[in-house]
Amino acid sequence: MEVFLQTLVAGILKGGLYGLIGIGMTMIMGVMGIINLAHGQLMMVGMYVTFVCFHYMGIDPYIALFISMPALFLLGMVLQKYLLNPLMEVESILPENQVLMTVGIGMVLTEIARFIFSSDYKSVQTSYSSSSFFVGDISFSVALTIAFFIAVAFTVFMFWFLIKTDLGRSIRATAQDKDAALLMGVNSKRITIITFGIGSALVAAAGTLLMPIYYLFPDIGGPFTRKAFVITILGGLGSTVGAIFGGVTLGLAEAFGATYIGMAFDDMIGLLIFILVLLFLPGGFKRLTKI
Amino acid sequence: MKKVSKILCVFAALFFLFTIAATPVIAENIKVGVVLPLTGKLAKFGEIENKSFLMAVKEINAAGGINGKKIDLIIEDTTGKPDVGRSAIEKLISQDKVIVVGGGYSSSVTWASVAVAQQHKIPFLVNTGSADRITEQGWNYIFRLNPPVSEYPKGFASFLQNVAKDVKTVAILHENSLFGQSGSKKFAKQCKSLGINVMMKEGYEAGAIDFKPLLVKVKAKNPDLVYMISYIMDAAMLIRQSKELDMNAKLFVGGAAGFTLPEFQKNVGAGSDYVFSATLWVPSAPYPGAQAYYDKFVAKYKTPTEYHGAEAYAAMYVIADALKRAKSLTPEAVREALAKTDMMTAFGPVKFVSYGKKTQQNSLPTFLVQWQKAKLETVWPENVSTAKYVYPVPKWNER
Repeated sequence: MEVFLQTLVAGILKGGLYGLIGIGMTMIMGVMGIINLAHGQLMMVGMYVTFVCFHYMGIDPYIALFISMPALFLLGMVLQKYLLNPLMEVESILPENQVLMTVGIGMVLTEIARFIFSSDYKSVQTSYSSSSFFVGDISFSVALTIAFFIAVAFTVFMFWFLIKTDLGRSIRATAQDKDAALLMGVNSKRITIITFGIGSALVAAAGTLLMPIYYLFPDIGGPFTRKAFVITILGGLGSTVGAIFGGVTLGLAEAFGATYIGMAFDDMIGLLIFILVLLFLPGGFKRLTKI
Repeated sequence: MKKVSKILCVFAALFFLFTIAATPVIAENIKVGVVLPLTGKLAKFGEIENKSFLMAVKEINAAGGINGKKIDLIIEDTTGKPDVGRSAIEKLISQDKVIVVGGGYSSSVTWASVAVAQQHKIPFLVNTGSADRITEQGWNYIFRLNPPVSEYPKGFASFLQNVAKDVKTVAILHENSLFGQSGSKKFAKQCKSLGINVMMKEGYEAGAIDFKPLLVKVKAKNPDLVYMISYIMDAAMLIRQSKELDMNAKLFVGGAAGFTLPEFQKNVGAGSDYVFSATLWVPSAPYPGAQAYYDKFVAKYKTPTEYHGAEAYAAMYVIADALKRAKSLTPEAVREALAKTDMMTAFGPVKFVSYGKKTQQNSLPTFLVQWQKAKLETVWPENVSTAKYVYPVPKWNER
């Protein structure tokens, strides 16, 4: 029983972070209709910002959120405005080519990080990095628990933002039907830029929250891009709530798979669920929640 | 159309010029290829080896090179992936026309690349890839400087027999790669022969965020000894999360690789204390030049080095020695010279012998080190130790 509960806790806590990684990607997917394959790499940049803040300025990772998120928001906007949008304007370039562009952006970001920071593994050692508290016999990692609640807070906030604010409604309108949104007077180009910025900022938040418990090196982006992709498909393309469910599902699947099947199959279990969802629930959890 | 042909003409002319300009320079030098992961997640190790190779080749060339000729080191990046490793060595052999290849980090990549070398009949001196089967194929062009992974715990086994006699149960955790699988299988066999009960043996996927599901199972079984075969950051995560879970054992032992790097200590912090690791080399090892290599490396690059670097450094000297003795500068002559190697290096004595299923394999003793107060101390065998071992290790909440 103890093993079961510990696995459950581990899966849910990790899932919260996964959700945060997925939300950014799913928003970009919804509005632009492209998969952002530089998503993990943007997270890597956010993590380096956190690392620099901590290491050279002594700023705690949770406070560094206020630096890494705006920084990545700006970076995301610049990428969308000057690299991705120009591709949309050329008739002869298929929209799919934007996806190739994101692959290129990801590579460039990785190599720039290697150039500046070398391939060394970096990590942030805080007083709470490897501390934990116990409820009964179940251990909760302090940093992971805080990360989980911040991730949930961000999701609730995003939900409110998308439903209640004018900008949020414009984003949803663009995601639903770009042409109709244009006719209604939504500046869809501006919306795509802002959405990419928000998506980047969210994944930067995930990276910053991950920093106290995980580590960092230039090539860390790839695996997270893949995870974000799986989460996005699980949750349903463009669905914010779906992303959280997708993230928690993936977290739980990985944790239970690791406990009861074998940790060597960590990745395989996630991808197996991915295939099952594609086969039996195309459209992901969005179909069930209708949001 | 005209424009195109003009451009082509310019290119052809340029190409011609370059070949003329480049040929005489290259003809003077002896080309030696090296395959290492310089990017990707194994880049950290590749970097240490790369620096050591460059340091060694500089020294050799400064001391007169090979009978007057200089060594031209061509280093190719494998990115830590077997397929890329394969094409890297193919490029070295067919395009650069090297006569001998060194390097070879990560068992999976090395396994893929030695096959290419054997096929093209180019001698390959492996200095890090440690899966046993690399030298178990009877391939006569493949030599290995480092001990195979099954022999990494040799020093540790004698520690178990002489000091930690009350260790009765073990949990083995390993990375799910050729290196981890091969090492864990052999270690489990060794445990059985020492009368230690293997309670669990499980692999994991490198790069995981959360090792708790695995560690919870270990905690429930409560073994005396936890033996881990991991690369650096997984090693750090395993120890950090063992502390979080308050999972205690009499001994935490790493099977070389990740546990001896300075980055391990930096990333784990105080939790690294008392962790043991098997290692192939320590600066205090009783070999001439071992301490000197360490000091030179630190003076030159301002960062510490460890056994991977020593392997690379020694490998370069072994290759240079073989080139000096070779009757002619052909792969076949170099292979013959390598087979007759009998020399002392900073990494230990080198002589390629056959034993068991292995051929052309160098045989070396291994050491046991322990992190004490953030410093890596050699604790076993006693004649080379720099500090007294701490056994059993204190529980997490008593530190």
